Amino acid sequence: MADLISIVKGILESKKVDVVVGYTRATSPNRTRPIVIRNASEADALVIDSSCLNNLATYLTRKENKGGKVGIVAKGCDVKAIVQLIVENQIKRENVYIIGVKCNGVKKGFEVEDSKVLSEKCLNCNVKTPHLYDELVEMGSDNLSGKDEKAELIAKLEAMSPQERFAFWEKEFEKCIRCYACRQACPLCYCERCIADKSMPRWVETSATKRGNFAWNIIRAFHLSGRCIGCNECERVCPAGIPLSLLNRKMAMVAKSEFGYESGMSLDAPTLIGTYDVKDKEDFIK
Amino acid sequence: MEEYLISFDNLKKIVDGFIKEGSDVISISKNGDRFVRLEKSDDIILNPEQRPSDISAKEFLFPRTEPIFFYCKQKESVEIIDKEPQKRQVLVGLKPCDAASLGIMHRVFNWDYRDEFFNRRYDNTLIIGLACKYVDDYCFCTSVNISPTSTRGSDLFLIPLSDGRFVVQVVTDKGKEIVSRNSQMFEKADPDSGKAVIDSIKGPQKKFDSKKVKEWLDKNFETDLFNPIGDICLGCGQCAFVCPTCHCFDIVDEDYRYGEGRRMKNWDSCQFYLFTLHASGHNPRDTQAKRYRQRVNHKFKYYIDRFGEILCTGCGRCSRGCPVAIDIGGIVTRIENLT
Repeated sequence: MADLISIVKGILESKKVDVVVGYTRATSPNRTRPIVIRNASEADALVIDSSCLNNLATYLTRKENKGGKVGIVAKGCDVKAIVQLIVENQIKRENVYIIGVKCNGVKKGFEVEDSKVLSEKCLNCNVKTPHLYDELVEMGSDNLSGKDEKAELIAKLEAMSPQERFAFWEKEFEKCIRCYACRQACPLCYCERCIADKSMPRWVETSATKRGNFAWNIIRAFHLSGRCIGCNECERVCPAGIPLSLLNRKMAMVAKSEFGYESGMSLDAPTLIGTYDVKDKEDFIK
Repeated sequence: MEEYLISFDNLKKIVDGFIKEGSDVISISKNGDRFVRLEKSDDIILNPEQRPSDISAKEFLFPRTEPIFFYCKQKESVEIIDKEPQKRQVLVGLKPCDAASLGIMHRVFNWDYRDEFFNRRYDNTLIIGLACKYVDDYCFCTSVNISPTSTRGSDLFLIPLSDGRFVVQVVTDKGKEIVSRNSQMFEKADPDSGKAVIDSIKGPQKKFDSKKVKEWLDKNFETDLFNPIGDICLGCGQCAFVCPTCHCFDIVDEDYRYGEGRRMKNWDSCQFYLFTLHASGHNPRDTQAKRYRQRVNHKFKYYIDRFGEILCTGCGRCSRGCPVAIDIGGIVTRIENLT
């Protein structure tokens, strides 16, 4: 298995790609940040370890990158996003050069306590070795472990009455400050003009009020149903600490149990919303 | 400066007095993520080693969303209903970087136009600051004319002693009034009784000279420096929304019933594409690099040009919380090194 830096240098020098998106060390040595590399000489700055939390696939749909060939460092979950973007015709397979990362799981976050714990999304990971790649590199192991507290919370929410559930989300959405970090970090939120930004007419209230916050957060969730690949970036970047993964995971659970569908897994599978099957359940029609 | 001593219990009694008289008392939440209204004084946390909250306290003077007025369209006229006046509030345990920020924002809200909403809150707010013993890679208050023990912005300033008591520095007349109203709670302190503690607090190392940074920004509007940041910046408004000094807002009308609604003032951010998008479709800040340049220039050049103040208190929130770990202190330090 070749090492990351020489792969990146190679594909830049041979002009296989125009740019490479990867990770580099941030100011705080226990943190990493994304970096866009255009010259082979800059590739030495690249790192790959369990603090590489970002899902870099979010950069693939940027206007600046469209048309060019992009090399991307991608963990299994990030590859799911790439696959989903290809399936949704947002990028072309031949325009992405995937440097897959054999991943042993990443840290939950950069705070002292979080950095000792495995991210919840890694606990039931089925793509430790990415399912699609052009080259493969390895990430060291920090032997992190963690507990799936969100699974317990989902079970708790399922057992609630609609009123109780509403009260739960009312309290969570009240925290929302409408910075839209969830949207910006999401690899699958790629609309050129988000409905939340449209003002003629105004569909979603921009005010951080109960109504505005419910409208925004529920529309965001709906737009990702059957599409979210579970990288959990929205929740990680939320400065208000809203547990957005509860919504995303529940939707993914329904997609799986009702339609046997898992997003971002196969280039050949049609999108969940974009297809139907005569065997689809119809028991919701009463 | 007048100095007194107070026990934590007596401090809580004073806070209970505020709550009893109907004031809102605001302090950091249990998990330290934000500032919240307290129900009782027992919930006060005064921990100088606490990390700055994820979201600053500015929303108690400049709320993320606030109605300016309510309207109701009649047949031939519009009835305007003003918002109710603001009640008194006490912010307890603000770090120097947070306390100072409110005075910095005060400048812009009292410039060509006096913003009555901010001012009403500002005048009705008492600020009890707390010396800070927290430092991490993202703190840089000492580079922007603030220190972990500076009293700027506070009415009363607390310095924690090892025996659990606090030295209380009386900074303003508002603070003085609290002391004289509750004189039995305070003990007279020996001069400089907080000095040993103050001297022991090192604070973050000075990272840059803000004067040199401004000199460079004065001459280098056109620059490649922000391109690598534009490459990775996601264009979310996290940095502006958690910042204690960012104060841009948008005004929107919201009809909530036919002919009835309210005019709202909502936080906005220069990092949004929409922020400078013209009705014609032209956008003068059409790339994220240009938008980031605006952020740095507003904080370290334009605000100084206009008000003689740096629009940053070095709290580090924007960088600590940035989804892609963009570090404003590091960038400004790099600018200083270019001079």
